[in-house]
Amino acid sequence: MGLRARRMGLPESIIAAACARSGQRVLHVDARNYYGGNWASFSFSGLLSWIKENQQKTDIDECEDWRKLILENEEVISLSKKDKTIQYVEDFCFGDQDSAEDVEEAGALPKLPVFGASGAEGAAQESEKECPPAEGALPGAESREPDKAGGTEPASATEGNDTEVTSENDSSQNMALDESSLELGKTEAAPSKIPAQEPKKVTYCQIVREGRRFNIDLVSKLLYSRGLLIDLLIKSNVSRYAEFKNATRILAFREGKVEQVPCSRADVFNSRQLTMVEKRMLMKFLTFCLDYEQHPDEYQDYENSTFAQFLSTRKLTPSLQHFILHSIAMVSETDCSTLEGLQATKKFLQCLGRYGNTPFLFPLYGQGEIPQCFCRLCAVFGGIYCLRHPVQCLVVDKESGRCKAVVDHFGQRISANYFIVEDSYLSESVCTNVCYRQISRAVLITDQSVLNTDSEQQVSILMVPPVDVGKPAVCVIELCSSTMTCMKDTYLVHLTCPSTKTAREDLEPVVQKLFNLNTEKETENEELEKPRVLWAVYFNMRDSSGVDRNSYVGLPSNVYVCSGPDPALGNDCAVKQAETIFQEMFPTEEFCPPPPNPEDIIYDEDEIAPEETGFSNSPETKPESSSEESSSRGTTAVKKEDNEK
Amino acid sequence: MAGGEGAGSGAAECREHLFKVLVIGELGVGKTSIIKRYVHQLFSQHYRATIGVDFALKVINWDSKTLVRLQLWDIAGQERFGNMTRVYYKEAVGAFVVFDVTRGSTFEAVSKWKHDLDSKVLLPNGSPIPAVLLANKCDQKKDGSQNPSQMDQFCREGGFVGWFETSAKDNINIDEAARFLVENILANYKSFPNEENDVGKPKLDLDPLKAESKSQCC
Repeated sequence: MGLRARRMGLPESIIAAACARSGQRVLHVDARNYYGGNWASFSFSGLLSWIKENQQKTDIDECEDWRKLILENEEVISLSKKDKTIQYVEDFCFGDQDSAEDVEEAGALPKLPVFGASGAEGAAQESEKECPPAEGALPGAESREPDKAGGTEPASATEGNDTEVTSENDSSQNMALDESSLELGKTEAAPSKIPAQEPKKVTYCQIVREGRRFNIDLVSKLLYSRGLLIDLLIKSNVSRYAEFKNATRILAFREGKVEQVPCSRADVFNSRQLTMVEKRMLMKFLTFCLDYEQHPDEYQDYENSTFAQFLSTRKLTPSLQHFILHSIAMVSETDCSTLEGLQATKKFLQCLGRYGNTPFLFPLYGQGEIPQCFCRLCAVFGGIYCLRHPVQCLVVDKESGRCKAVVDHFGQRISANYFIVEDSYLSESVCTNVCYRQISRAVLITDQSVLNTDSEQQVSILMVPPVDVGKPAVCVIELCSSTMTCMKDTYLVHLTCPSTKTAREDLEPVVQKLFNLNTEKETENEELEKPRVLWAVYFNMRDSSGVDRNSYVGLPSNVYVCSGPDPALGNDCAVKQAETIFQEMFPTEEFCPPPPNPEDIIYDEDEIAPEETGFSNSPETKPESSSEESSSRGTTAVKKEDNEK
Repeated sequence: MAGGEGAGSGAAECREHLFKVLVIGELGVGKTSIIKRYVHQLFSQHYRATIGVDFALKVINWDSKTLVRLQLWDIAGQERFGNMTRVYYKEAVGAFVVFDVTRGSTFEAVSKWKHDLDSKVLLPNGSPIPAVLLANKCDQKKDGSQNPSQMDQFCREGGFVGWFETSAKDNINIDEAARFLVENILANYKSFPNEENDVGKPKLDLDPLKAESKSQCC
């Protein structure tokens, strides 16, 4: 039994975990040197490296040596080695970049001394040789100094800066100790240690130095607290690897102002911006939405209207209509039907109150943690992970039409029964009929929240309605430092919408409305109130969700395709896709059942399972370790004590 | 869990700590053997790759006032190429870096592992987590010629708090090494107590599922 997954995005990671969990042998490879593919998150210096790599798009040498490994009765489907999913990357620094010239990221480590520098035997070998060389060589992001405006060659950090590391993160570390539950980080984050003081001015220099405090997601999403991903995390017990914070507030942007949307019962009653009459109207409408199916007479006359038109008939003030349409249902004003709007409102309301006052959770350290959590589950059940491991082609048996193997970058054939490939790996010939959409993304580092309140530790979501009719709404997610995604005294702001043009063209108008993009000197008074943008990046990401499998040309039936990230706010699309693919491969297996509790496992010496046969050609051929491989392969006999009552 | 759990309000009462400890090093150096020897008092020549086990738990009655629960995290299948997820490193407060004295190449990889460790996890105060170097399989013939003073120097320069020659097979020095690491972890804990994990603070429990599932199964 063998199975290979390529790229480590969320759906692939979930499938890999599910397969390993049900006893399949899984090999997970990615040409890149980080987990997550386009679902990854990066430190600040890591993101700068990623930006540079995507702006350069270096050509990769084609080496055809592997062709001799292909037998006569076999065909080849070449895979794309260039990642074309990211386009139009533009980054901007709004501070004094020159001052950061000599700054290094704190915690960047000195090279460790090699034993026997005095001339002892067996020393002075760079241990990196253990790793396959990286193609398109992206050096280890963490040890790399970000490149400067001048484009000087980045030098690897050689001095430790430990003393400058501050300890702002010592609160809010709250690992999920209880394995049966999905644990939340402390929602009320530690109050600022220096109360009642002007917010400190953070410079670009400090952002670079504190770069490791950032975990910047390429994809910006939240988890619906009754969404498929939360259910899967709990069911599979993968939740033990992650911690979450509640989104603390829902915001709206109306008449040039940012305001908080009351959405829970408590919010509505406590709201100071709503009149008593409005409170009653809103509660009455929301109560109706919770079981709208029971009252068809209330909406059936409007089934052919838009939800916005329906709302205008419901005795709601304009501000309430705005809140419901844009911030609660989060649907389009022009093309969302009444029923879709009611459904969306109901979904929102059902998610309220499960974990807090908003329907959303955000994973500490960023969305990029989630694929890694599933990778850990997969690895715990024997899955093997190879980063920096490009693959050249799929090998197809002419007679059966099934994929038999892949040939990797080192010219090795690796056989398996099932192959899971991310869309971006497929070459143009396979994708000629495929038409991709794009997602426009922006990430900003700012100096204060878009809506200041007494607590500075807020996780906010804001839907900005389209400027022009027909344009998409822009989803803005603002993260505070206690989410472990940005340094103290900064906010990380993610903007996302389906693309109509380049990301900058789509999103800059919204950025200009919400933020101050000027440098300090030029700032006019009215701009002073807005948060200042310290640094920004825009990029377009391919949206391969919703591509029909049949539109790929000539793929064998045992090759399954995962899409990249979709533009929706939640993660349902990735989870659904993973479950569907898993069920197609293994219709009788359960999808991600809970693993045994480590504390319930007892080891039994007499029950060591017989050696399994592995892949017909294992990826590791280092002679020195091959004897070890064979003796350490297979399964250790583990028994689960039947503790469940 | 970075710091552990405090229990009881008065200083005289029993304190309970939960520490996550990582066991890292190249393939086949004996990480799983060390864990099984230490936690389950078992040794077998025939361990296979670690399947289905996240961590092993060892409970230590440290002294009359202190109970230590050590979670020993094995590195699972990712080890072959040393590509660890942050999920694995996250919140760890101590580590064993293991090499095999019969294979010099596993010693050369020690620095790579230590570097990876320090780049992915730090103590709350920003310093590296205490790491103890284990020269395992010391019951067998050595490959290479590291003498004790060279090892001491290597540990100083490499940021290890100490090193031990161990044998999971003959049960040499494993308890001692663990005791030494826990001493270092406790020392860190005393100088930087992690308030967040003290039980004195009310713990937010927003998960109704937990309540539901408990009421269902009992």
